[in-house]
Amino acid sequence: MEILTGFLEAIRGIYESSGLVSLGWQNYVMIGISCFLLYLAIKKQYEPLLLLPIAFGMLLVNLYPEIMAAPHINLVEIPSANDPAAAGHVVQEIGGKIYYEDPTYGGLLYYLYQGVKLGIYPPLIFLGIGCMTDFGPLIANPKSLILGAAAQIGIFITFTGAVFLGFTEAEAGAIGIIGGADGPTAIYVTTKLAPHLLGSIAIAAYSYMALVPIIQPPIMKLLTTKKERGVVMEQLRPVSRLEKILFPIIVVILIAIFLPDAAPLVGMLMLGNLFKESGVVERIAKAAQNELMNIITIFLGTTVGATASGTNFLKLDTLKIIALGLIAFCMGTAFGVLFGKIMYKLTGGKINPLIGSAGVSAVPMAARVSQKVGQQENPGNFLLMHAMGPNVAGVIGSAVAAGVLLNVVG
Amino acid sequence: MVLSGMNVVHAAELTMAEKGIASAKVILTGFVVVFAVLLLLILVIKLYSFLVGKAQGAGKKKKKDQTPPPKKTVTSVTSEPAPVSRTASAGDDIPEEVVAVIAAAVASMYGGSQKARIKSIRKAGGRSAWANAGVLDNTRPF
Repeated sequence: MEILTGFLEAIRGIYESSGLVSLGWQNYVMIGISCFLLYLAIKKQYEPLLLLPIAFGMLLVNLYPEIMAAPHINLVEIPSANDPAAAGHVVQEIGGKIYYEDPTYGGLLYYLYQGVKLGIYPPLIFLGIGCMTDFGPLIANPKSLILGAAAQIGIFITFTGAVFLGFTEAEAGAIGIIGGADGPTAIYVTTKLAPHLLGSIAIAAYSYMALVPIIQPPIMKLLTTKKERGVVMEQLRPVSRLEKILFPIIVVILIAIFLPDAAPLVGMLMLGNLFKESGVVERIAKAAQNELMNIITIFLGTTVGATASGTNFLKLDTLKIIALGLIAFCMGTAFGVLFGKIMYKLTGGKINPLIGSAGVSAVPMAARVSQKVGQQENPGNFLLMHAMGPNVAGVIGSAVAAGVLLNVVG
Repeated sequence: MVLSGMNVVHAAELTMAEKGIASAKVILTGFVVVFAVLLLLILVIKLYSFLVGKAQGAGKKKKKDQTPPPKKTVTSVTSEPAPVSRTASAGDDIPEEVVAVIAAAVASMYGGSQKARIKSIRKAGGRSAWANAGVLDNTRPF
């Protein structure tokens, strides 16, 4: 009999500590959402490298919220400082009573999340991106920087929309940066300006980046004429190795002096690029763009997903952010194309306005979209390399825009 | 280009006019600074490209000819029952392996369900070895 009650007690204890009791309805909704995101990542292959860890992080934190719990210290009262229970603990005296500190450690993802919270992972991702980026097309055609700048206008317009929807200036800045179409930049800015919105902003940013091939073409076609889309651009001039080596050094000096807030992102991007272009540190260049970047991606994705706990995510604000993010994205694309049209006019028809849409970063997806839309008009037209110019310019542009936002509203 | 740090103000406490002013300030600052920095970059890139070009010797001004069309022109007509039926005419100097590869590419583009027939395979102008090296150099990471 005693055994049976003991057994029932134990079962009840396990039941009470299980998710069946502790989880709220929000958690179950989020579990559903994360399963849907997993489906999109695996079956539809929407940015699976990021969406999969993000979705799984969401799943984990809603099944077991403690995994993101912060550490805390319990004070246990003891009769004297020499009490054996206090051995190995910090002892302190408060109001004549003696306590020892009994720390409870945080959850696994809490510690991994510190890299996001302290703004460490996004610049490290930029390091890897720098190693993989060829700025040659940009150096060969520096004018494409204008398109990279134009596509950032969406960020600032969305900022306005967010302010009028009732977000604070800092929150609005973080929401606007979704329009930069650059995941690491969006995460970096959000952790500095509005960390409580990180989950929704990161998910909105990465979802829209995955949807670039669906969102951009209609806007591009709407804003351009058939003749403009058919423009075949002159082949880019070859860029010498010396130019490629000087580029990251010069860019980092300029940007870090004028806009120090953008220095962590641009600095790491350019360091990575110098690894690649210098050709003398092939080993570190490989490590930065493969092992390091993959490891950081796992940590970043999982922990960003883990910020989307049910109570945090299921709010009206999240829907507003998702809507505003879409507007930011469309605006960025539209302004890129419109400035492309201006350049088309100014150069007497030498520039195909379709490359303007690549000014939103989303490397290299946005450039591929330019290429694809251009080829629909003229199958013999190869815009990819021309679009890579604005595309990598967009990365620099987003980082600069991030610096501006951090400075003005941060 | 010194921007003063602003205190975070809760938007809900702002009137419409204040919101408008705050947004206009951010739009204007953002627009001007982003363009100013990137225009500055354009100037600097142009300048140093010019200097590098000069330092590395003259004779770099030759304009490259326009991108030639893709190497092969494949005309496909939907008529034959087989997914890909090869009746590659003309192109006497094109090896059979190449024809097979092109046929395979056509088949994969059209999928098994659609019927495609290759009517002719011709060599187009083609790039010089240097142009090819340039293309490779620019496209390899992708």
